[in-house]
Amino acid sequence: MNYLIIGNSCAGTSCAAEIRNIDKKGNITILSEENFPAYGRPLISYFLQGKQTLETIKYKKEDFYTKNKITVKLNSKVQSVNTTKKEVVCENKETYKYDKLLIATGSIPFVPPVNGIEKHKNVYTFLNIESVRNIQKVVNKNSDVVIIGAGLIGLKAAEALAEQVKSVKVCDMADRVMASVLDKNTASVIQNHIEKHNVTFYLSNTAKEVKENSVILADGTELNCDVLIMAVGVRPNISIAKDINIKINRGIVVDKYMQTSIKDIYAAGDCVESFDVLSEQNKILALWPNAFVQGKLAGSNMAGVTKEFTGAFPLNAIGFFGLHLISAGIVDTKQDGYKVYIQKDDTKDLLKKLVIKDDKLEGFVLINTNERAGIYTSLINDKTPLSSLNYDITKQNIGLNVFSKDIRENKIFGGI
Amino acid sequence: MKKVYAFEKNCLGCGLCEVYCRTAHSKSKDIIKTYKKENVDSAITIEEIEKNGVKTFFALQCRHCAEPKCVQACISGAMYKDENGIVRNIKEKCVGCQSCIMACPFGAIKMSVSGTVISKCDLCTENGNEPACVKNCPNGALKFMDLEEDKKIR
Ligand SMILES: Cc1cc2nc3c(=O)[nH]c(=O)nc-3n(C[C@H](O)[C@H](O)[C@H](O)COP(=O)(O)OP(=O)(O)OC[C@H]3O[C@@H](n4cnc5c(N)ncnc54)[C@H](O)[C@@H]3O)c2cc1C
Ligand code: SF4
Ligand code: SF4
Repeated sequence: MNYLIIGNSCAGTSCAAEIRNIDKKGNITILSEENFPAYGRPLISYFLQGKQTLETIKYKKEDFYTKNKITVKLNSKVQSVNTTKKEVVCENKETYKYDKLLIATGSIPFVPPVNGIEKHKNVYTFLNIESVRNIQKVVNKNSDVVIIGAGLIGLKAAEALAEQVKSVKVCDMADRVMASVLDKNTASVIQNHIEKHNVTFYLSNTAKEVKENSVILADGTELNCDVLIMAVGVRPNISIAKDINIKINRGIVVDKYMQTSIKDIYAAGDCVESFDVLSEQNKILALWPNAFVQGKLAGSNMAGVTKEFTGAFPLNAIGFFGLHLISAGIVDTKQDGYKVYIQKDDTKDLLKKLVIKDDKLEGFVLINTNERAGIYTSLINDKTPLSSLNYDITKQNIGLNVFSKDIRENKIFGGI
Repeated sequence: MKKVYAFEKNCLGCGLCEVYCRTAHSKSKDIIKTYKKENVDSAITIEEIEKNGVKTFFALQCRHCAEPKCVQACISGAMYKDENGIVRNIKEKCVGCQSCIMACPFGAIKMSVSGTVISKCDLCTENGNEPACVKNCPNGALKFMDLEEDKKIR
């Protein structure tokens, strides 16, 4: 059996590992466009910041591939897939046969057209090691950096650069930071904290024009700019799937078994649409844990052990300059029927928000009060009726003692 | 695999397991020096249950899950399950992002006192045969055993 995996990152490696768990003999090959072994993609900001090295950001130990007999081909960008011959052709002209194929091509940056952007010499996105290496070459302590996009990726880039350059200015069309994840209240806590660290925000504002050494915003403000980072957002990388007419909405469409509309071709991670169990819609959930779970499931199904994807929901854990944020599920409640509990202490940048509907926890936001957050996550995941718990979770810090003795012992003694 | 199991009816909530956990993970391995000079994390949480005015306790540490959610969520590869089933954390790789804290359904991971990495139970079996907490619990509230063995006992 030939297993072929396109993309050597979270979904690709977790798929490969799971295949090997089940099928000890089959050939497993991973093709990677990048020239570096798998790394924790979110760690690129820590690498840019100097807190991690090229060695420590590697995702797997050296012996992962040898022990599991997994072949990795770096610098091997897949150009096309021939579904009749069951063959993949790379840009370097190498071809690979497959019986089962996984597409785990992740995300690509979305770069909106901005007038004059071609005039600027130092424009980068922030998605891989290569982009960090390029940014490192051009920034110094005198640089004025402009980042377009105040989402997770833009803010992580801002954090990484703030102490190495003269100024970091972040602009976003939305009225708040991390607008796709956070409500206004929470976003303002994060923004205030980041502003204390050499970062200035220009919100409800867009880049109208780029000049050789500056960026002009929609409201006319002109920002000096030596380095421009485009972090507006990411999109599923669907180009390969598109070429072979796999069913696509916004991302690649997969069934419960992570199989695409073409037999023997699976897909997982940022490039697919996932079922969000809370909104009951298919969504792009471009998140590391989701990519891991989907890759593993795809691997299991590819190797013949049928397992179903039961859905996911948004989950974010992120830190900026020592402030820690964890958010999950539904946090911005526009519809009726939600009860929202907020506990806030501005002096300590502390916030706890619980979103409850029909006796179930459906979302939470925690800032600097993150102890045992996973128990909240499990309440959302298991759809636990809150009335079945030992106490009111809005009145007391959470612990395993929230569960009745039977359930608690079952969890502890049963394990997961 | 062998894990640490807590027996609520024997737990006094005295916190000695935490003291010995810290000592076992200290440089000096000395209980007093650890307390006075070293800032070491305990990987144990002692929980209190109050029912009809009566307080009971239990000590909780990582369950070393078969399908560990912390490992799935870890963005750096710092968290991994070793060949013996022990879920470990490589401090040099950890960036303290708390994705694992968000994912662990037991709430068994803490932020370390340094605030930059996490801290969790590693079963400390290198120090001898039994984890430090089990060895030093004065009332036999913690047992180190295999689930099959445990079924026979309960
Ligand atoms: C700066 C930053 C911070 C982030 N922080 C977090 C965070 O804190 N928490 C979180 O949950 N998520 C975070 N994310 C998102 C997370 O990194 C992604 O969800 C995750 O990497 C998805 O994994 P994946 O395997 O699906 O795809 P990717 O990691 O995107 O990997 C896809 C791989 O496929 C390769 N590829 C693409 N096309 C081809 C081709 N044609 N041929 C060969 N190879 C190809 C790419 O080069 C790439 O290596 C962050 C992302 C960034 C950029
Ligand atoms: S830290 Fe939590 S999720 Fe990870 S193995 Fe331990 S109990 Fe399981
Ligand atoms: S805090 Fe450390 S161990 Fe936990 S998910 Fe982040 S990098 Fe991994």
